[in-house]
Amino acid sequence: MNLSRRAFLVFYRNLVSYKRFVVPTLVGSLVQPVFYLVTFGIGMGAYMGAFGGKSYLFFLVPGVLISSVMMSSTFECLYGAFVKMIHEKLYDSLIATPVSAEDAVAGDILWGAFRGLISGGLMMSVAFFMGVFPVSVPAGLLLCVLMVLIGVMFGSLAMIVTSYAPNFDFFNYYTELVMTPMLFFSGVFFPLDRFPAWMKTLAQFLPLTHAVEISRAVYSGVYPKSLVLNLAFVLVLTFAAVRVGVGRMKKRLIK
Amino acid sequence: MKTIITAENLTKRFGDLTAVNGISFEIREGECFGFLGPNGAGKTTTVRMIHCVSPITSGSILVNGLKADVDNRKIKAMTGVIPQEITLDNDLTVFENMMVFTKFFDIPRREARRRTDELIAFVELEAKRNNKISELSTGMKRRLLVARALLNKPALIIADEPTTGLDPQARHLIWQRLRLLKNQGSTLILTTQYMEEAQQLCDRLVVMYEGKILKEGSPRRLIDDEIGREVVEIRIDAAEDARLISALGPVSCGHERAGDTLFFYCRDGREIQKKLVELDLPNTVHRPATLEDVFLKLTGRSLIE
Repeated sequence: MNLSRRAFLVFYRNLVSYKRFVVPTLVGSLVQPVFYLVTFGIGMGAYMGAFGGKSYLFFLVPGVLISSVMMSSTFECLYGAFVKMIHEKLYDSLIATPVSAEDAVAGDILWGAFRGLISGGLMMSVAFFMGVFPVSVPAGLLLCVLMVLIGVMFGSLAMIVTSYAPNFDFFNYYTELVMTPMLFFSGVFFPLDRFPAWMKTLAQFLPLTHAVEISRAVYSGVYPKSLVLNLAFVLVLTFAAVRVGVGRMKKRLIK
Repeated sequence: MKTIITAENLTKRFGDLTAVNGISFEIREGECFGFLGPNGAGKTTTVRMIHCVSPITSGSILVNGLKADVDNRKIKAMTGVIPQEITLDNDLTVFENMMVFTKFFDIPRREARRRTDELIAFVELEAKRNNKISELSTGMKRRLLVARALLNKPALIIADEPTTGLDPQARHLIWQRLRLLKNQGSTLILTTQYMEEAQQLCDRLVVMYEGKILKEGSPRRLIDDEIGREVVEIRIDAAEDARLISALGPVSCGHERAGDTLFFYCRDGREIQKKLVELDLPNTVHRPATLEDVFLKLTGRSLIE
């Protein structure tokens, strides 16, 4: 792979253009998670009793936070990358400079991860005001690192989809058949223990499940042994997704 | 003169389609070299291989001693590309478009500002400096593409159909700028389907068709060799061909029928002129030969799709 520091220049380009969209995207990133927290957390949480000695919100926040990272990075690398590739021909102008196709795609995956970090960070602040926060300041920082990692993972997975996409409608397959089910079967809103065995097995194959487990551990400061497996799953998948995503996009950009 | 680009047996295949079919050519330092051809002739694919955004199927290109497909970053660092499509960054202003681009070439900030201001003036866009791209006309966008391609002070400038869709004023402005750059010592590669553009700018050119080079030479020589100096067009029914050819054939150096028109090519039009008066034909045009005649003769007068 012909990757260089120039990936960060592509990231910088996105940052320069972002200042025009910062307000609408912040509102977009904020509203949906707040609805989740208010409706599920406060509304439904009132009927749920305590989860391991704490209110339902403590269970919900780490999950919703990491799913908002997933959503933001995914959408950036689906629609954002597709517009840049097909409609604005931005990649064409990038790769005519010393920026390689790999740099350009990697820079956009990083950008997707950054957008995820912003969404997650907003969630963290909203939750803070609702009285839910990570166990310590280092845990909060660790959570930020985690958000970037999860953002890179989902951003790269989305890049793989984008590399095959003939048009916008193609993304519906991914968002409706993969993302939405994942949101409900990964233990974001309720624990997986009461699911039938086959469903629990299925959940183990969903990347979001592992991301949520890690997020919850960092939030609470309780690190079970099984966390090693969650982390291994995330790291291996991230590595593979970056390689495949960048490689596939390169094939599409350089013909 | 020194050779800056050498291509040997250059081939590009997309699956079953051979877009460029074993062509060889040399481009000299400081000249303007043109690739002419109808749509799908392989011009753009060829220049894309030169500036390393398209992998070479077989054959080789050397750019200033560097191997394309190997030393990509170095070749791209010394090349400025004026693309066929408008690839400006719509989210940014004119100034920001330029400044962001300087980053990709590692131009230090102070120098970047200087060159940006200078080039915005070069293409006469000072008034639009802080406007967004969507507020520019097509001509302005194309001028900005020219300016952007010059940020890295390229030794090699590649202009891929740089004036497509422009009004005459904007087109002439771009031609003037390109000529100026050539006079300052840059090597220029131009692809175009506009014969006037090629005649205006190119020192030498190749005519491409179906992935191959049909002819190579200076515009003047190609016209001389292929057509002569003058062309007579006669709009007349094909039934009259035999009569006209027997009358005009001896004083011309070639003829061709295309649709409703019979073409005669010649070196010296005076004899033909006399005969035309004798024949007293209603619909005739007598004009100097152009590159367009060469182009149409070589690539055929029928539609290419």
